[in-house]
Order: sequence, then structure tokens, then C-alpha cells
Amino acid sequence: MPEYAKMKKPDVKLVILGDMNVGKTSLLHRYMERKFKETISTVGGAFFLKQWGPYNISIWDTAGREQFHGLGSMYCRGAAAIILTYDVTNWQSLVELEDRFLSLTDTANSDCIFAVVGNKADLTDPEAGLKEEEEEEEGEEEGGEGEKAERPARPPPTPPSPVARRKVHREDAIALYGRILRYKMLDERASLPAEKMCFETSAKTGYNVDLLFETLFDMVLPSILKKRSGNDSPTVDLEECRGAKRTKAGCCS
Amino acid sequence: MEKEHQEIEQPKAVRCCDLPSNCDANQTGSVEVPATISQDNPDAGELDCGIEDPFPCKGDDAAITSTNGLSEPQGAEGEGAPASALSDGTAGEADGLSKPEGAAADEDDPPENVSDSASTDNTLEDSNEFMVTVLARGGLEDQADGTPSALSEAGGPAQGPAPSHRDEDVTAESWRRHRKHVFVLSEAGKPIYSRYGNEEALSSTMGVMMALVSFVQSGDNTIRSIYSDEHTVVFVQQGPLVLVSVSCSRQSEQQLRSELLYVYRQIVSMLTQASITRIFERKKNYDLRRLLAGSEKILDGLLNLVDSDPSFLLSAVHCLPLASSLRDSLSQILQKAITPNLVFSILIAKNQLLTIVQEKTVIEDARLEPADLHLLLNLIGASSAFQAGEIWTPICLPLFNPDCYFYAYISYLDPPECTVCLLLLSTDKEAFYAVAECKRKIDEGMRTQNALRSIARAQSYSASQVGVSDLRHFMYKPFDVPDNHRQLTQFTSPEMEAPYSSEEERMRLLDLYRYLHSRIHSSSRPLKLIYHVAERETLLAWVTSKFELYTCFSPLVTKASAINAITKLLRWIKKEEDRLFIRNPPKYSTTPNPSKSSRGGKGGSDRQDTTDNGFLSLL
Ligand SMILES: Nc1nc2c(ncn2[C@@H]2O[C@H](COP(=O)(O)OP(=O)(O)OP(=O)(O)O)[C@@H](O)[C@H]2O)c(=O)[nH]1
Ligand SMILES: [Mg+2]
Repeated sequence: MPEYAKMKKPDVKLVILGDMNVGKTSLLHRYMERKFKETISTVGGAFFLKQWGPYNISIWDTAGREQFHGLGSMYCRGAAAIILTYDVTNWQSLVELEDRFLSLTDTANSDCIFAVVGNKADLTDPEAGLKEEEEEEEGEEEGGEGEKAERPARPPPTPPSPVARRKVHREDAIALYGRILRYKMLDERASLPAEKMCFETSAKTGYNVDLLFETLFDMVLPSILKKRSGNDSPTVDLEECRGAKRTKAGCCS
Repeated sequence: MEKEHQEIEQPKAVRCCDLPSNCDANQTGSVEVPATISQDNPDAGELDCGIEDPFPCKGDDAAITSTNGLSEPQGAEGEGAPASALSDGTAGEADGLSKPEGAAADEDDPPENVSDSASTDNTLEDSNEFMVTVLARGGLEDQADGTPSALSEAGGPAQGPAPSHRDEDVTAESWRRHRKHVFVLSEAGKPIYSRYGNEEALSSTMGVMMALVSFVQSGDNTIRSIYSDEHTVVFVQQGPLVLVSVSCSRQSEQQLRSELLYVYRQIVSMLTQASITRIFERKKNYDLRRLLAGSEKILDGLLNLVDSDPSFLLSAVHCLPLASSLRDSLSQILQKAITPNLVFSILIAKNQLLTIVQEKTVIEDARLEPADLHLLLNLIGASSAFQAGEIWTPICLPLFNPDCYFYAYISYLDPPECTVCLLLLSTDKEAFYAVAECKRKIDEGMRTQNALRSIARAQSYSASQVGVSDLRHFMYKPFDVPDNHRQLTQFTSPEMEAPYSSEEERMRLLDLYRYLHSRIHSSSRPLKLIYHVAERETLLAWVTSKFELYTCFSPLVTKASAINAITKLLRWIKKEEDRLFIRNPPKYSTTPNPSKSSRGGKGGSDRQDTTDNGFLSLL
């Protein structure tokens, strides 16, 4: 396995999409570096490799700015999982997912899985905001066990203000998930259930961040295995993309 | 041929690009940079030197910035002398030299500044008043009655209550006191960018600016600048964009103008000129912020660099000094890691250039302009937030070709320190994985040669290494780069050390340099040599056909010893030049068969072939 790590050939691709400023970079940064820090609006896209057990998962953090819109479908080509991210305090950011980003996923694998993620939950949800003090004070470094980030630990000391700012409810996200499946012409019953694929996260506090990424990693494993057994050409990524594209074009028109 | 070239960005890559492009429109417009300094020189010049004294308040801030050394009569001392001593250079011409510097200063400044505005036509005075009154209404009050507060910032660095300039209250005194405002608006008067405060809050101010521009335009004229007691307002129109600088930095109009061009080019680097033109052709009042949203920090960063990094003033690139053997081996590492359509491989450390390798066909016919490289460096600085990743982004190099995109791969070679940055430019949008593979090779090469360690040890140098007492700092820009005149224009400069270690002092020295630079490049009366006795230091600037040199000495230096020092300095630079400059920029060839290139297995689509042809035909 270590040789694998050295070669760093990605086995599978995951793409994060969503409007500017929803916190895509922050989410990934929280997951990879266990930190929340000031970001600068992403240009183009940024590629990361995450080793997950024996596998190398490539993650594309894309720019939400309209300026880079046209690149989206390129980043999505051959993706096994796509995270559609919105900001729970910004209704428009949810609307944009459907208006602007969903069509970019046409180039993804046909069996691509989707997650709808409402970030900045710390601003609306007392529980999600809870971890904040804890993490910010003593090192973000305790990342190793971060997996339990979502555990609803202490009794909420009812931080008052934030809850008012919620603009998008979980039901809205779930409804969107349904529309995505329809757009993809996927059978709702055969697909992963919305309850499982809609997350609310906070890059700021770490709330649900590990859960999100690791759930998805586990879900794409079958896709890796399929690919491995199918063919082991190192260029599989590219081949696959082109294949995927063509099929899609066929069925879409 | 250019027609074909369009194919490059045709690939619906970035949205703004899928509009048909008119590449040919501006191939030539791109050559502007080096010219900016002398270009807007209407020799109508002296006409009305009486209009206004651009610096009427000199006296007030005499104690604050020594830029106003220019108003002090001490310069009489500067008389002719250096000429004789230095005349072994090409500087011997009487013209600039025999003008006693200080004596010249007082009478010199007004015409110098006014000369450009002469082109503004005779309504200048009116418009000025107009500007002042209307701007006041729009919130940008020009305080004619010398509130000293406005001056106090003049010499200081842009004070830095960090990033959220966007939220500034634009009616506040502190907002008005910024040393240099920059505004970008569309021809329809729509705000696009403001350095301080958000554009929305400033829309009326910008409206006024646009009104002013069109007011003068309606008289078949172009507004170029306005001088008030404390501020210089400079207008630049580029296509459908209007850029305005409102500055109390006392820089020359030419300098401010070239800074605005940097801003314009940074915008072009994100959108391409062709698409900006097209967008506004289609919809005159398009809100360009839609496309630029999120880029404010890139523009903010650029303006901060422009203020603090002399590379911009000199239009030259700063290389990190490096043993030439080490630089060569770095270049070789880059040379070996190539892939089709890769055109530039650039290695950067500490925001300075380590080496740059170019595709052969590129280097023969074109070159990377310093200004384009500056934009790239700024982009890297602005995108480094999350440094472990590999960035892949379209970027236009406006001087290379303002209408098409390159695809830039940006990655750090030494995470988590992230000081050594690799930048690979490809013309192929789809080439990410191939280019990323080049990075792996480069990583490998660096590791086997232990190059990162050597790079980490590389440093800028200290002026004291020159071994000339009293020499505090200098900037040297050679024109005669050996071997290849098409080489990247570079300059060398030591670290700024005590007494220039504080931000404020550094800015003060830069301001002095800027002042000398403006005198040297004055459109009305350029000088070749200036010996300038300022309050806390003495400076000597000298331009010949071979180089441009700015030196800063302790105030105790005598003219004779300064001249002596410069001779020594030049000798030292000569001796060190292999280390200080990139001497032989290496090349590689990624297109062995330019006409019908073998695109190999990797995505050998038709489109890519056209891309390639188009690219080559461009050159
Ligand atoms: N309160 C809160 N703020 C967040 C959270 N995540 C991100 N932010 C803030 O939101 C802003 C945008 O975050 P980014 O991660 O840069 O957003 P992005 O989606 O990557 O934006 P683009 O790169 O422009 O597409 C930053 O100021 C973050 O600090 C969160 O979970 N909670
Ligand atoms: Mg981002």
C-alpha cells in the first residue's frame, strides 16, 4: 500500500461545488488540516489527494465565482461523488445549486453520488455552534479523533442570537435532493436516501465535517473496486471521462 | 492566423469566453507597458505652468516626509559636479546634468506635473472646481483648506487595519485620508471596484467621476488628470473601463497612470480583454462585479504590492540571488519535466524569481513581460490560502496576449512551509493531470539534488556586502542583459535594512525613489543624473543607456565619496552578476513537430491540435 501512496494515482474523484462564499474551501480545510482559518476566494480549482485506507481519493475544491463557471464541468468529469454546498443562512446559495451547478455534473460518472450540504450551521444551530469554544481554545490539533465531531456532546448553553439567521431548512435541502435525482433520471427508491445524503455542517466548529467526508469516502469505495477490477490502466481517469461524457450526451439529448 | 488562435479559449472553458472572440482587435495594444512611462507625453507641455502648484502645502509637512526635500533649496549643492566625475558613462550629456538639481526642483515641479494635464484642455480649471465640488457632494470631499490630517498619512504606509476595507464607512474622515484610492467603473458609470469601502456605497461618487469623464469627452477631449491642493486625480480609460486614482502620495501622474494600468491588466488577466469588450458591447450597463466578485482581494493585494514593491515602479523582475550553478541545475530539473502544450515553467521563492524556463518556440519570438509576471506573482500570493493543494486555473497574460487564456498550475514544493512555489503554464485546459505529473517529476528531481535545502539557504543580500560605507540601499536595473536582449527585464536590490526596517521608513525610502524616478522619467524635462540631498539621507539616481540606478546613502556622504561609491558598486555588481541575475534562460521544446504535432495518446482530439497550431501561429 505505501507504494500506492507514493505514486499518488488517484483512485476516485470527489468534487465540491457551490456558490462563492458558502465555505467549500473552509470545509475541505477543516477536514484536511483540522483548522478553520481565513480563506481567499478560490481561483479555478484546487486539487487535493486524501489517502483513505489503501486508496487515494482526489478532491477538487472548485471556485464558486461565476467567472470560473465554465470550468466546472471539466472538474466534474469522471467524478464519483459530488458535494453540492450551500450556506444555511443564504437562500440564494441553495437556488444557485439548482440553477447553475447541477448542470455541471453532467460530466460526472453515471453512478455518481450526490450530497447536499448546508454549511455554516454554527450560525443557526446551537448544537453546531457548540464545539466552537472548545476547538478554538485548545488546539485544533486533536484532529485524530475528530470523527466524533458530530456527537451532540454537552447540553446546549443556548447561545441566543444565531438561530434567527437560518434561511434554508433541512426540508428544502431534502426537496432539492429529490429534484437532483429526477434530473439525473435516477430512481428514488434505488438511490441513497435523502436523509442520508443531506448534511448540515460547520467548517468553523467542525460539526459534521468528518462525518460528511468519511461517509462519502465509504460510499465511493465500491466504485473504486469496480474500477480496479474493470481495468487497471493508469489513465483510467481520462478514458472514463470521455466515456462518461459521451454516454451522457447521448442520453441527455 | 489569429483567428485560429481563438480556438484556444473557444473551448467553452470559461464562460465569458464562449463568446466569439476578436483576438485581432488588440494584439498591439498589449505592447503598452514599457511605454507607459514616456508615452503620454504631449509635448504641449509647458503651456500653462501657472495653473496650479501641485504641492502648495509643502511647507506644512516638511517634517513629515522628506519627499519634500524637493522643495528645499539645498540642491544647489548638487550642481553639475557628478557629471564630471561620472561622465565615463553615457550620462555626460549636459542637458539633465548641468541643471542643478535642487535649484531645478522648485521651478521644475509645476511644469512637470502640469505638462500632462495640458492635454486636458483649457477647461481644466473649471473641471477641477467642478470635480472638487461635485465629489464633495458624492462623498469624496477634497479638503482644500489644508486640514493637516490629510497630509499626515502622506508619507506613511497604507495603515493596515487588515482586510475588511470593504466595510469602511465611506463618509468617515479616515476613509478620505487614505493615501491612494483606486476606483474602477464602467463607462456607464457602474461601480466595479474600490480599494477602500464598498463600491455600492460609492456609486454616487463613481457616478460623478463618470459624469466628469463624459463631460470632458463631450468637448472632444479626454480628461487625464486633476490637481488639487493635496490630491492628484488621474483618469485612465481602457476600452469600456474607466480607472481613477485619487492620490495624495505625490507620485507623478505617469506613475499613477502606470499603476492604474496594472489594475486594468489584472482585471484582464481574470477575464481577457476580448470578453470584457464583448460583454459591454452587448450590455452597456452590465454589472462586471458579477464576474469579478471574489477578486477584490486580488486587486487589493496588487495595489498593496504596487505601493510596497519597486518591481512595479521599475517594470522589472526581482530575482533571488543564487549561485549560478544552483540556478542552472534548477532550470535543468524544470527542463526535464515537460509535457505537450506546456509553455512556461517558473520557480518562485519568497516572492522572487528563481528561474524560468520557456518553450523554445515561445522564447524565440516572444517573451514573458515583467508586468505579466507581476500579475502572476500577485495571483499566487492571493491564492495561497490553502497551500497543500494544487491549483489549476485559467489566467490571461495581458501583455503576451490579452485575449486568450493560459492554464496555470500552481503548487508548493515544500509543504507545509510553502515558500517554494512552482508555476507551470499550459495552453491546454485539459492538461491538468499531465502537468501535475510534471510536478511529480520536478519534486523528484529536487529531492535527489537536495535542491530545496539549497534554495532555503538562498537569501537576498545586504547592502553592506558591497563593502562601501555610507551606501544604505540601491536598485540597479541593467538594460544590457547579456546574450539575449529579449530576456526578461530584471533588477537587483539588497534587503532594506536599518534605518529602513520599519514599514513606515521603507515606504519613505520608496517614496524618495519614486520621486527620483519621476524626475528621471519626467516627460517635460527628463534628467539623467540626480544628486538629491534629502533630510535624512542623500540619494543619487543615474540612468545611462546601459542601466538605471538608484542609490541611497547616509546623509553624511559627500558628493565625491558618493560618486566613488557608485563606481565601486558598479564593479561589485559586475562581479556578482551571475548570481544576481538570470543570465541564460533555458529553453525546452514540447512541440517537436510544430506543424503537425504528435499529441500522443493523451486526449489527442482535433481541438487540441488547433489549439496548438493557433498558439504557434500567434507567435
Ligand atoms: N460562520 C461560519 N463561517 C464560515 C463557515 N465556513 C466558511 N465560513 C466563512 O465563509 C467565507 C467563505 O468561505 P470559503 O471557504 O472561502 O468559501 P468558498 O465556498 O470556498 O468560496 P469560493 O472559493 O469563492 O467559491 C469565509 O469568510 C469563511 O470564514 C462556517 O462553517 N461557519
Ligand atoms: Mg473556495
